[in-house]
Amino acid sequence: MDNQFIFKYSCETFPKKWVKKMERSEHGNRSDTNTDYLFQLLCFLKLHTYTRVQVSIDICGVDHPSRKRRFEVVYNLLSTRYNSRIRVQTSADEVTRISPVVSIFPSAGRWEREVWDMFGVSSINHPDLRRISTDYGFEGHPLRKDLPLSGYVEVRYDDPEKRVVSEPIEMTQEFRYFDFASPWEQRSDG
Amino acid sequence: MIVNMGPHHPSMHGVLRLIVTLDGEDVVDCEPILGYLHRGMEKIAENRTIIQYLPYVTRWDYLATMFTEAITVNGPEQLGNIQVPKRASYIRVIMLELSRIASHLLWLGPFMADIGAQTPFFYIFRERELVYDPFEAATGMRMMHNYFRIGGVAADLPYGWIDKCLDFCDYFLTGIVEYQKLITRNPFFLERVEGIGVIGGEEAINWGLSGPMLRASGIKWDLRKVDHYECYDEFDWEIQWQKEGDSLARYLVRISEMTESIKIIQQALEGIPGGPYENLEIRCFDREKDPEWNDFEYRFISKKPSPTFELPRQELYARIEAPKGELGIFLIGDQSGFPWRWKIRPPGFINLQILPQLVKRMKLADIMTILGSIDIIMGEVDR
Repeated sequence: MDNQFIFKYSCETFPKKWVKKMERSEHGNRSDTNTDYLFQLLCFLKLHTYTRVQVSIDICGVDHPSRKRRFEVVYNLLSTRYNSRIRVQTSADEVTRISPVVSIFPSAGRWEREVWDMFGVSSINHPDLRRISTDYGFEGHPLRKDLPLSGYVEVRYDDPEKRVVSEPIEMTQEFRYFDFASPWEQRSDG
Repeated sequence: MIVNMGPHHPSMHGVLRLIVTLDGEDVVDCEPILGYLHRGMEKIAENRTIIQYLPYVTRWDYLATMFTEAITVNGPEQLGNIQVPKRASYIRVIMLELSRIASHLLWLGPFMADIGAQTPFFYIFRERELVYDPFEAATGMRMMHNYFRIGGVAADLPYGWIDKCLDFCDYFLTGIVEYQKLITRNPFFLERVEGIGVIGGEEAINWGLSGPMLRASGIKWDLRKVDHYECYDEFDWEIQWQKEGDSLARYLVRISEMTESIKIIQQALEGIPGGPYENLEIRCFDREKDPEWNDFEYRFISKKPSPTFELPRQELYARIEAPKGELGIFLIGDQSGFPWRWKIRPPGFINLQILPQLVKRMKLADIMTILGSIDIIMGEVDR
């Protein structure tokens, strides 16, 4: 049972409407699907005898602002029984809600919270959708490409008020962006 | 009664907040709240080249630093199909196994301190200092080495390092025997740890656990054997596993993993080949055809070739068997020096999810035992 086994098998057995694109590459096989059929596809992968994908290793969001459905949610899956990995990807935009896979993979609970927190892609009927990594009153979704790296607010401890306050950010140095390909390439300011 | 085991607490797990609902001494529910150490590592990665990002990655899991560097470098290497020279691969394996020993040692100390035994905490630091010394000699830094590079390692091992390392291996085997005598058959320890926090094998797979937690529940899954990466296949070593799935089994797995690591290090040190320690071919400037920076003077005399490596427009999930579990990165390249998306899959994040389920119906004191045996580091959980 090599790495290609699950992929080839699922290529042949998936209903056509589930799969938008299947791609095999040496760096891992992936299949693109529609958000409507995501739950069924993952259920199939988990329970079917010849795919037996029991572990959801990772759920990741990616932001491609140039596309219409800008977010892509990537499910990295592993089958310990067959020692194979497969990647399932769906695309969503800011208002699409994807179905949670917590009931299939219990470890997905925290990952989906993180995708919501970092990107804003929410899940329908998720048992516990809250922010997980950002601060308690944070507004915005950090890993979107339109939020700058330094953010918009900074926090500091305010001694008169005896608590931590948030204030708009104040940078003393301009943001340095190193984009040259070589250390000797001339920078634009000469 | 709801009790808050707040973000600051005296054990070394890091800033983890646990909201525990108690009924007398029994735990009804426990909810971990993360995010106190979130530093935006993933967003920073989108604005740094690989060589600029390497100092950041050691701060994810600051106790097993070589693994984070190894995965940062393995990802682009697999994307670009770069071969690593044999000597570099051996050096990497030696450093990784030394780092695994260091990480398990620093797991053992706070675990015993949480249970109540103060002595092993000092012993492990004595041994960890002995690991820091070879690291400092080879890499220049005790903990946050910036040692791995795409295509190999940054500098070769100094003269006499191999003998020093062999001496350390011999000493450490006696050290492990000392720990076994002190801890493993200690009736207080067994009373505290046996039968606490049992996870079955099927359940462990379902929850996505990895590393010693999975191997202690009877599943023989070790990425070093399964994935055949680096040069682990050339050494003769076994996967350590136990069947019971309780905290005692996890302790036994980690202790025996330390012994196996010493075996691997000894075999690697005896068999290390000569040759280059870094694949310097990959450091060429791809954007222009035959620029002057590919000439002899820039690349070999001044020894400062272009450090930026262009990631091809592909995606990849690279993984490594870190001491805490399966550490992985999901990397999407964008044909520029900066990656488009760099997702870190920390083992502690996933292993921590099972905590609320394990502590139900346990006593309050068992929470720390179970939390200790899961072996988390908040630096990588929160990134």
